Amino acid sequence: MMAEEFEPKIVAFLCKWCSSAGSDLAGVSRMQYPANVLPITVMCSGSVSPLYILSAFNKGADGVLVSGCHPGDCHYIKGNYYARRRIALVKKLLEFFGLEPQRFQMSWVSAAEGTKYREIIKDFVQEIKPLGPQTKLRRNV
Amino acid sequence: MVSLADLKQNARNILKEGKVKYIIGYQSSSNGLRPVPAFIKAAEEVDKLIWNPLCVYNLTRFLVDEKRRKAREKNPDERPVGLIVKGCDSRAVNVLLQEKYIDRDNVYIIGLSCEDKGVVDEKKLARKFKEKKIEKIEFGKKNQFSVTTEKGKVEVAAEEILADRCLECSANVPVIYDVLLGEKTPRKLENPYESLKKIESLSKKEKWAFWKDQLDKCIRCYACRSACPMCYCDECVVDSINLAVTAETTAQEKEQKIRWIEKSPQLSENFVYHFVRAIHLAGRCVDCGECERVCPLDIPIRLLNKKLEKEAKELFEYVVGFNPEQPSLISCFRDEDPQDFIR
Repeated sequence: MMAEEFEPKIVAFLCKWCSSAGSDLAGVSRMQYPANVLPITVMCSGSVSPLYILSAFNKGADGVLVSGCHPGDCHYIKGNYYARRRIALVKKLLEFFGLEPQRFQMSWVSAAEGTKYREIIKDFVQEIKPLGPQTKLRRNV
Repeated sequence: MVSLADLKQNARNILKEGKVKYIIGYQSSSNGLRPVPAFIKAAEEVDKLIWNPLCVYNLTRFLVDEKRRKAREKNPDERPVGLIVKGCDSRAVNVLLQEKYIDRDNVYIIGLSCEDKGVVDEKKLARKFKEKKIEKIEFGKKNQFSVTTEKGKVEVAAEEILADRCLECSANVPVIYDVLLGEKTPRKLENPYESLKKIESLSKKEKWAFWKDQLDKCIRCYACRSACPMCYCDECVVDSINLAVTAETTAQEKEQKIRWIEKSPQLSENFVYHFVRAIHLAGRCVDCGECERVCPLDIPIRLLNKKLEKEAKELFEYVVGFNPEQPSLISCFRDEDPQDFIR
């Protein structure tokens, strides 16, 4: 029997006002993209606590994506700016610990950008596949 | 140099005038050289106060305890608390002020300048004087400590035994105070992030190998949390138990409650703990080094805080603890914040 190809699990925190609608658009437009993503709708990318991200890794995610509105488009005016700052710090600290930075990404996807969403997921899966499963932060119980 | 007589005189005066309810400082202990915190309530006790290079503790932590104690009292004494601070500790006071955790009139700050030196790392000191018994350690002449052992007095170059954080300190003089003792010695800081270089130069694999070893050691005693003046949350996400548990909550419901982190000291959980601790201190940590000092397993916790301090400076030009008026690091932004990592 041939070994099955590694299919990464990606947890995506999508802003309800933009990226989540963007992923819906990709869906209703019948765009094809890898089925590796577990989308979680949040009210704002600014509401994503670093703990959500770590928790996803802790419970076995191979990659985590946080996606919010383009700068200036936040439904709550500034949430995505806060997210940008916080996530920059999380990313730097993950790198400092020696985790592959590709496993954690952030994107701006508006409600109209179904195509961009598809491209981002495609690329993300492509990048993570060669890295193999994420075992460093996974809980062993 | 800070004169102990001046310090005592100042303390005596404010206690006599009734300006403060008590003074938090340092006193000698039965545990050899190591000082312990002192709580001086009356002018007669002022002679207990000491000041030497082993006064490493950040006493700002006691302002947190004081606030809690006051909240429980029926008729609290509203006078301020006298607090003896070094440069780093004074920055911690600034952060507490910035976060509106305390008011400026809750505390009377007696600042002691570290001048051209700082405080001594006990471990480095013990390593340097292996078999000899140290009887006394004092601030010496320029860039020197004088250490008295049973064999006599020797001068030691400061950088040999200074605590790591003091080598990278940007506030040798307190930045907020009511009284300042000692000179405002200007000091140049050439390598503010020297301690990070070793790890930053490692490859991804080596970095993880290093941290894996370190985090594996952690026994989750939370000493780092207890010693930190910034870790003042009443409920910590790491061991929160109050997530809407009532008398009616069934065992099944409790079982389903989110537990962000398991209590068992495993690598994966320890990682989450230390990561969250570091992130919660981003833009708040003043690098007083208490977390690392109290760690019973010598985990270099300080490096995580230092790393975020460096990134905050480089990415957002944010410096902690010099201005109590500035907004906190992650509740503000600039239009030009970097976003090249975002797709």
